[in-house]
Amino acid sequence: MVIFREFTKYEAGWSDADEQLLCLDTGSWRTKRPVVNREKCNYCGLCALYCPPQCMVNMNDHLAPNLDFCKGCGICAKECPRWAITMVPEGEFAHEGAKR
Amino acid sequence: MKARKGEVKVITGNAAAAYGAMLCRPDVVASYPITPQSEVVEQLSRFHADGILDAEMVEVEGENSAMNIVAAATLAGGRAFTATSSAGLAFMFDAFLMTAGYRAPVVMVNVNRELTSIFSVSGGQQDIMTVRNAGWVQISVENCQEILDSVIMAFRLAEDIEIQLPVMVCYDGFYVSFLAEAVEIPTREDVDQFLAPLKLQPERTKLVPERPLGCGTHGILRGFMELRYKHCAALARAKQKLEEIDREFGEFFGRSYGGQIEEYRTEDAEIVVLTCGSAMGTARTVVDAKRAQGLKVGLLKLRMLRPFPRERLIQALKGKKAVGILDRSVCFGWNCGPMYMELRALSPDIGPVPMMSFIDGLANMDITIPHIERVIDDVYAASQGKPYQEVTWIPLEE
Repeated sequence: MVIFREFTKYEAGWSDADEQLLCLDTGSWRTKRPVVNREKCNYCGLCALYCPPQCMVNMNDHLAPNLDFCKGCGICAKECPRWAITMVPEGEFAHEGAKR
Repeated sequence: MKARKGEVKVITGNAAAAYGAMLCRPDVVASYPITPQSEVVEQLSRFHADGILDAEMVEVEGENSAMNIVAAATLAGGRAFTATSSAGLAFMFDAFLMTAGYRAPVVMVNVNRELTSIFSVSGGQQDIMTVRNAGWVQISVENCQEILDSVIMAFRLAEDIEIQLPVMVCYDGFYVSFLAEAVEIPTREDVDQFLAPLKLQPERTKLVPERPLGCGTHGILRGFMELRYKHCAALARAKQKLEEIDREFGEFFGRSYGGQIEEYRTEDAEIVVLTCGSAMGTARTVVDAKRAQGLKVGLLKLRMLRPFPRERLIQALKGKKAVGILDRSVCFGWNCGPMYMELRALSPDIGPVPMMSFIDGLANMDITIPHIERVIDDVYAASQGKPYQEVTWIPLEE
């Protein structure tokens, strides 16, 4: 048998900021989301390193959460040495509608 | 190229395992003592204290930590070794499963022992049989020399880029763990040379500070299925790979063990007995005696418990008139021996011949010469069309 369309190039469950492995909709139970201040972010990558579901996406000049997977735990905001990440209540994004 | 003649020492099975591990230069050793495995840890600590083993020796508070540490060490690109037995294996079980899913190439020796409960600090193979569907490669070995050689081969197999699986080398506690035999110990240089092909392979994925990665994070739906499929595919490849490594080992060191199974006088045999581990030595003696009496009996040693050597077994058993399987553990629910249960799955390929399960040697009951004679006699009678019972618990019928 050959795998028709490979989901991951890895042999095991490796995941990183550049590629996805996660397909569980963990974003739906979030109450706060991390918002990255791009003025302050110096692209050090510590948020990606600490992120438990590894959902920080490399945007080439900064990192931003993939909101499909971000559970809103706030570890990135806590670990960011430049205080560039703020946890904002989901209610403030209610105007965006059903979109996560 | 041939390896030089190594020094011959009289050492126990546990010491042989420690020598094998030491010669492979592991980066990390983390192991918690448990009867009958403790001597492995003691010997490795002695090597470390003497400066022969340059590894990080982690003093752990239990087997669960030991397995997590060695798995992490291999994910960081290192070589890691651990050893356990019975309740220790049970205590590390979640980490043991994680290690398989990580595809972390840990090498572990398991010194086979009964599992609780009924409580018993004695030999048996219940521990290795209980974990046989956890995704590890399991190799069952017979004597002290085979332990040492198999640990070396296990590193070649585990770390191969096409395999990347944890490998468990299993030998019978009490019977082999404490048995002292003459063992040829290969030189370090020769073991280095044998393991050198691993360095020529592409590097496996590993944790490095420069490129943050996660391993063991959850994947579901298609990603999960794909990784499970890849795991099974790697297990399938491991069968042929073990054959190749065993052959190469034989050419270099002058000792080989048949790869997935060892066939002993099976070629012209009409009936065959299959077993594994330390009972093989006794079984060989009995088969030789029966052969001398003119009975065409052969013996199979199941070396690779997982992945299951289906193709080789079919090839070896096709055309035989009856097969007896001697297990040192039980398969709860099927109420027969575990190896018997698995051999039965090959029935359609082997043909409609009698297959008989014999359970013996639980909790240090010796598998004696008369016991194996009885197995052969019963299997022979069945091959002649006599009625037979499917499962026999040998000591209970004495």
